[in-house]
Amino acid sequence: MSGIVIGNTLRTSWKQILYWGAGLGVLGLYIDFIAMSPDIISGYADLLKTMPPAVLQAFGASDIQLLTTAEGWIVSVFVSEAAIFLSVFAVMAGLNITANDEQSGVMDVILSLPISRAAYLLERWIGYALIGLGIVVLCALITLAGIIGMNVDAPHDVILKSILNMYPAALLVMTVTSLLATILRRRTVAIAVSAAFVVASYIFNAIGAAAGGAFADLMKSVSYFSYINGEAFVIGTYDPADSVIVLVAVLVGFALSLKMFVSRDIGV
Amino acid sequence: MATESVIEISGLSKTYGSGSKQTLALNRLDLSVRRGEIFGYLGPNGAGKTTTIRLLLDLIRPSAGSASIFGMDIRADSVEIHRRIGFLPGELSLWEGRTGDQIIHYVASVRGDTRGIAKHADELAERLDLDKTKRVRDLSSGNKRKLGLVIAMMHSPELLILDEPTGGLDPLVQQTFHDMMEEYRAKGKTVFLSSHVLSEVQAICDRVGILRDGELKAVESVEKITNVEFNWVDVTFRDAVPAGLQQQLDNMPSITDVSTNGTRVRMRMIGDFDPLLRAISGGYVEMLHVEEPSLEEIFLAFYSGDEEKLQ
Repeated sequence: MSGIVIGNTLRTSWKQILYWGAGLGVLGLYIDFIAMSPDIISGYADLLKTMPPAVLQAFGASDIQLLTTAEGWIVSVFVSEAAIFLSVFAVMAGLNITANDEQSGVMDVILSLPISRAAYLLERWIGYALIGLGIVVLCALITLAGIIGMNVDAPHDVILKSILNMYPAALLVMTVTSLLATILRRRTVAIAVSAAFVVASYIFNAIGAAAGGAFADLMKSVSYFSYINGEAFVIGTYDPADSVIVLVAVLVGFALSLKMFVSRDIGV
Repeated sequence: MATESVIEISGLSKTYGSGSKQTLALNRLDLSVRRGEIFGYLGPNGAGKTTTIRLLLDLIRPSAGSASIFGMDIRADSVEIHRRIGFLPGELSLWEGRTGDQIIHYVASVRGDTRGIAKHADELAERLDLDKTKRVRDLSSGNKRKLGLVIAMMHSPELLILDEPTGGLDPLVQQTFHDMMEEYRAKGKTVFLSSHVLSEVQAICDRVGILRDGELKAVESVEKITNVEFNWVDVTFRDAVPAGLQQQLDNMPSITDVSTNGTRVRMRMIGDFDPLLRAISGGYVEMLHVEEPSLEEIFLAFYSGDEEKLQ
């Protein structure tokens, strides 16, 4: 592995860090701004209290008292919204790893060069993983800067950890999309199935959280959204095993896409 | 010329699809390309030329058979093979938002020698009159083709694999390309190029392989293949076709397939024009058009038993 493809990927796509990172950061600033006013967030909590508990659970608001604190508000609202936007980036990044170049025909030129398919896929994956990391870090820094600048009373380390915890899930969505593109070979089909994966995960998490019982727990456990649990950092129940599970799924997904990409015809 | 093989293909087959939708694109291809020759790989669209090239480059995997380049297996040693070859795809796609210079630099860095390769790329671009500073999306199809040629040749590969290399190039650049190929041959390098343009093959190739419906029908020297050449001749009279001309043409051994349409007569002809000119002198000839036969027609004439009749 020479790192040349990683460098090229970063050179051609580094602006995505700015666009996505700054975009999510602005969302963070907006939520910081609301967190400045305890009246607004307590009013929001009062509104949520009027809803049935199951509906609240479905929207990720497991503890209304938590929402009345600045850190609870920022983590619950920002992380749940940013995770959806980050999933969109991850689907696009997953397509960029191989599918777009394969469908456009550029892949024929690339793979006629002295680089193995495995090395190429790995370097592209690392390149986009770094871009994803840059986005998450930039949006976390902007959100933290807002907390400091607006003098919001929220623990910085909790906010930082809860935002960074979105990263393994973003890697998972990117890897799953890359795998689907490798198997399905058509960009449009891969987009559709990846979108279905994201939406299904969201619904599974919402239903799993709202309903009780073993089946609901199972639904929740297969949703990657359930592993982006920002509240766990606030109430101190974060379990590193959750992140490990997601990262293991990432590794398995990458290994499968590598196997497929190395063994199949290109551009057919 | 040395007879050492650079490309050795044995029983190579490729089938696309599965079940009832299975298509045989290449059927048990055996072929050898020698070091230092320019080999023309000919055939109509869909004959299997691009499939062969994509198999050689390990972009697709064979259904049966094997092939080697420089004595190395095309699958097991693809990275080492790719280090020593240059490739131009038939349908060239490049990164639309990047300039020629950026693409050349990237490809050169993957090849591991940016400085030496970039210098040669500059020379090639100058010869081909290519502006490397433009973004790909701003290049015409001909200029994209030139950029593709620069990328394929800039590391002075031992073997060039070119799929329809001159499509979209203007005649002056085509001539420059032909000169480059002559220089390649003079340096003992090998070129494997696919084409369906007979004149191009005649101009630069030593040998040709003719592919049809996924099967290699013949491998011959260019000289032998083009000896069977005939022409389609269209004669347009100002007034009606002279009486008795059709019968007269039918009786001429060098002319076949005569058809008349209003004031126009079309025929297939080999040999000298003089007998035809004498035959049509009875009418006022408004236009005489001579059309080179397609490769397919020459091929059919050569291999369908018409060869003796034509010669």
